[in-house]
Amino acid sequence: MGARLAWVTGGVIVIVIAIVAFFGYFALQRPGPLKGPATDIHLEVVAAVGSALEWPRPNDPHPDWVGYLPTTVLRVPANSTINMTIDQEDSATGLRNPFWARVQGTTTGSMHVKYFDDKGNPQEGDMTSIDPTQAAHTFAIPDLGVFVPLLGVNANAPANSMNVITFSFHTPGKGVYHWQCFVPCGAKTVFGNGGPMQTYGYMAGQLIVE
Amino acid sequence: MSMTSGDLITERRLTIPTGIPTGILFAIVGYFAGVWLGNLFGLFDDQNTGVILGYLFGTAAFLIGLGFLNYPLARVLGWPVDALGEAYESRGLGRYFRLSLDHKVIGIQYLVTILTMLFFGGVGAMMIRTALLSPDPTIVPPGQYVALIGLHSVMMIFITSAVIVGPFGNYLVPLMIGSRRMAFPRLEALSFWLVPPAAVILAAATFWGGFPTGWTGYPPLSEQASQGMDSYVVGFILIGLALVTSGVNMLATIITLRAPGMTWSRLPIFVWGIFCTSALGMLAAPVLAAALIMLGMDRTLNTPFYLASNGGSNYLWQNLFWFFGHPEVYIFILPAFGIVMEIIPHFARKPLWGYRIGVVGLFGVALLSWFVWQHHLFVSGIAPVLRPFYMLSTELISVPTGFIFLVALGTLWRARVWMTVPMLFCLGFLFNFVIGGISGVYLSDVPTDVTLHGSYFSMAHFHYTIMGGEIFAFAAAIYYWLPKMTGKMLNQTVGKIHFWWMFIAFNSTFFPLFIAGILDMPRRVSAYDPSLVFLNRWVSISAYFLFGSMILFAANIIYAWFFQPVRAVSNPWAARSLEWQLPTPVPAHNFERVPVILAGSYDYGMPNAKPVADLRGLVGATGGS
Amino acid sequence: MATRTANPSRPHVIRVLIPWIILTVAGWIAVSFIHFPFDLSVQGQDQARTLLIMTYLATPVFMGVVVMLVYSGIVFRRRPGEQLVDGLPVTGNTRIQATWIVVSLILVLSLAVLGITTLISSQAAQAIGAAGRAIGGEGETGAAIKETGSELQVQVIAQQWYFTYRFPDYGGVETTHLELPAGVPVEFHVTSLDIIHSWWAYQLGVKADANPGVDNQFHMTPRTTGSFTVRCAELCGIWHGEMADTTGQVVSQGDFNTWIAQQQSYFAEIQKALPSYGPYYFPAPLTKGS
Repeated sequence: MGARLAWVTGGVIVIVIAIVAFFGYFALQRPGPLKGPATDIHLEVVAAVGSALEWPRPNDPHPDWVGYLPTTVLRVPANSTINMTIDQEDSATGLRNPFWARVQGTTTGSMHVKYFDDKGNPQEGDMTSIDPTQAAHTFAIPDLGVFVPLLGVNANAPANSMNVITFSFHTPGKGVYHWQCFVPCGAKTVFGNGGPMQTYGYMAGQLIVE
Repeated sequence: MSMTSGDLITERRLTIPTGIPTGILFAIVGYFAGVWLGNLFGLFDDQNTGVILGYLFGTAAFLIGLGFLNYPLARVLGWPVDALGEAYESRGLGRYFRLSLDHKVIGIQYLVTILTMLFFGGVGAMMIRTALLSPDPTIVPPGQYVALIGLHSVMMIFITSAVIVGPFGNYLVPLMIGSRRMAFPRLEALSFWLVPPAAVILAAATFWGGFPTGWTGYPPLSEQASQGMDSYVVGFILIGLALVTSGVNMLATIITLRAPGMTWSRLPIFVWGIFCTSALGMLAAPVLAAALIMLGMDRTLNTPFYLASNGGSNYLWQNLFWFFGHPEVYIFILPAFGIVMEIIPHFARKPLWGYRIGVVGLFGVALLSWFVWQHHLFVSGIAPVLRPFYMLSTELISVPTGFIFLVALGTLWRARVWMTVPMLFCLGFLFNFVIGGISGVYLSDVPTDVTLHGSYFSMAHFHYTIMGGEIFAFAAAIYYWLPKMTGKMLNQTVGKIHFWWMFIAFNSTFFPLFIAGILDMPRRVSAYDPSLVFLNRWVSISAYFLFGSMILFAANIIYAWFFQPVRAVSNPWAARSLEWQLPTPVPAHNFERVPVILAGSYDYGMPNAKPVADLRGLVGATGGS
Repeated sequence: MATRTANPSRPHVIRVLIPWIILTVAGWIAVSFIHFPFDLSVQGQDQARTLLIMTYLATPVFMGVVVMLVYSGIVFRRRPGEQLVDGLPVTGNTRIQATWIVVSLILVLSLAVLGITTLISSQAAQAIGAAGRAIGGEGETGAAIKETGSELQVQVIAQQWYFTYRFPDYGGVETTHLELPAGVPVEFHVTSLDIIHSWWAYQLGVKADANPGVDNQFHMTPRTTGSFTVRCAELCGIWHGEMADTTGQVVSQGDFNTWIAQQQSYFAEIQKALPSYGPYYFPAPLTKGS
């Protein structure tokens, strides 16, 4: 009788702990590192996280996925102006809806882009829209009306070069807003919107206004 | 039959010892063989082919390792076989941990498996409610939240497909119809042994990040999803197979193996419920399997069955899925109807009031369930001319469902109600189901469905019917039949506390969700309007209490089953029906001799009522299998 | 059997009927205070009215079952210490069963008639060009969009994870938000660029699935000015819950004209890059692996 009780009790405890730990581990893990609030945010978009220039990420489960680095959880202060700098290292994929090639919601209504022209020469200038087919990604916070297309690196640009996009936007009061990309850059998934497009830490992220 | 042939088998049997350890070993080997093969021939480098083949090979290898091939192999090789095998005869605790052909062992195996899976799904629900404490997806990240929705929903669908037919159908149907066995014990065992692999495969989805589609698996989202979706495809196919095998077995058993005198009009109403649900499962599951195979082909072979951009149509999936899916929800509820109508007369101490109309109600629901599936597509853009028909057919289902209430209320009228725990759960079922049923009418009406479709209203509706209906009936069945199945009586005082706790917590959890749905909260969202924070926190805290009541339930079961030394008497409820006339524990072959049924199960208070059966059997009949 | 049971049942019947009537009336009074907020449009008003009628009809059914359950559970229960005795051996009553069937059939059929007449009258109103009352989408046409003239054409384009709007009457301009003129019938054409979404404008009483390759039509007439919320009501992936827009407005015709002119000038530059207006769009990539 005693052995049987021990087996039953032990078995029940093991199953309960296993299931709770299973769910807890799965549901609560989140990408890091999480930084404190910042008004100047510097992001890097790379075609594959493994090939990142500035923030290589070891032990990534999907090193061949496109992603924003170093994190997709951005903490910003409320009611202030956020200056974004995005190092865009990916080539163009093209927008699913060309409409998103218009810059919307930035403080100036435009963005500042350092890029390479068809001859591979560096160029610089303010833009209010880009050629939809030349978009590599977009940085969009739909709830704040911020939609910024990111110009893809020209095929004739020198190796390991990147386009640098800078723009500013205002934050509202406290809240959590999602940000995403409108370019179907989840390669090899139907409509290009799977994989990294729907996985936290790659092309999906949150803007936490504190 | 004789011991000499048994000795022959032990000499010539396969040298590999079959059982769960071998099964697991085979499953691992099979999985990796499938992954290797799939990656070798897969069209894409995304491993979907490998994962699907891995799951299929692993399941097949598990079943072989468990010993499903021993009998056919022995027949092919000409070795002598014992028709029902030593597995049938073996006693002791070990028989629960190997392939058994005894329907009573399978019933217990089902019960324990289902309760474990129920805990799994319940923890998933608690994670979902924890995430919804905040109107923004900050507690649980949104990707994992959507995956949790999928895990919880599909796991619960797996359970509720079998939660009553599995444990109670398998254990009780032969006892209730006076049979010594099931018609197809191997199919019955297969229907059980497909469930644990399906659950493991489903849980394995988390290693790929889960799947984002919920239980409906609408393409193209399900084609876009990661390899976690393959768990959905294969797991659901296995459950569909389990539904078919179990349905074939149950129907054949009920039709062919009834004892002499067990006429159709004397059949316990619970068996009628199992009969209808088995017929539905057997006919509906192949449609799902076909749809899932097409989905698997879309994902691996680049076919465009569901891709409008390449000539397919996502409506194809919606129609096939709901053609299965709507009968499926009646697969859940029909055996629950059976349980409620079965238990109420025994505690009302009255004959079942309107037995025939009850059976007609079960069949009416089963029949009409085939003509309603497009009510899930009212706003999807179907041809408008179809809407009135599906609105009418859906609303008509409430007529046969009303028969169940008529029978239950008629039986309670002027009864001598013995307010036991199973009876309380039956009354709780009726209360919850009337809310679930009425809210179903709201959803069947096209004008109101436009607003309520896809909102928390529909989510609350089906939780009222499945959780408040089927799971309450399941609890009633546990309190009622566990004394027969385990020989241990559950604590009635704890049972009453459990009932009131669960009943109040359940209603406090799900009734506010109707309001959330009417107030613009769509289903399956990880972020919702901040104005609904109070409502959602209320629901979450109620859900924790509901989970607590389930813990009490589990503790009551575990304590009574394993820790309580007192054995229950054979017939603690003084019930008339056949299964309670048997000794506890039920003998290996149920009945010494095939019994002769003399009277109906519910003839309480009848003057000169005969005992329900003569267990001495027909003179001269030995009742061989 | 019936004559023997009829008389002793009578006091019970009366004791059940009285609380049932009281509770039903109380329930009706409570229901009369309910206001469903999705009545900004003619169609939403129809839905709210139907919902209210159904709630009135459901109240006596619900109260009846509850009163019967509670009454049976209390009055007919075996008291503690009482011996276990059997109840009345009644196995049925044809008259009561027939009445039950007839009453439930009448209830159900009247509900169906209510729903179907609402649908039919709305379609008839549609055919003669009156202000649209059609509830529910008109379904897939697949054909080119017909020019009805009197109705404002609005195309809802869903994609993961945002709804945009195109106005073919205004040169096919595409906008990120939606404003509608009050009192003008609107014909929505709901389509999707990728997977299935569902466009739910709550206060307007509109819900229509957005399917790729399908032009799902829906008619709606806003009654007065006001704001509305748009949400996605079909699971569409990680940001399904965030696919919401609370900035929808029903405004006066003059304000609408100003707004649409603003949008036309603001998006004039990108307008050239948009595909020409059609019932649906299939932008690349179409399958996996591409």
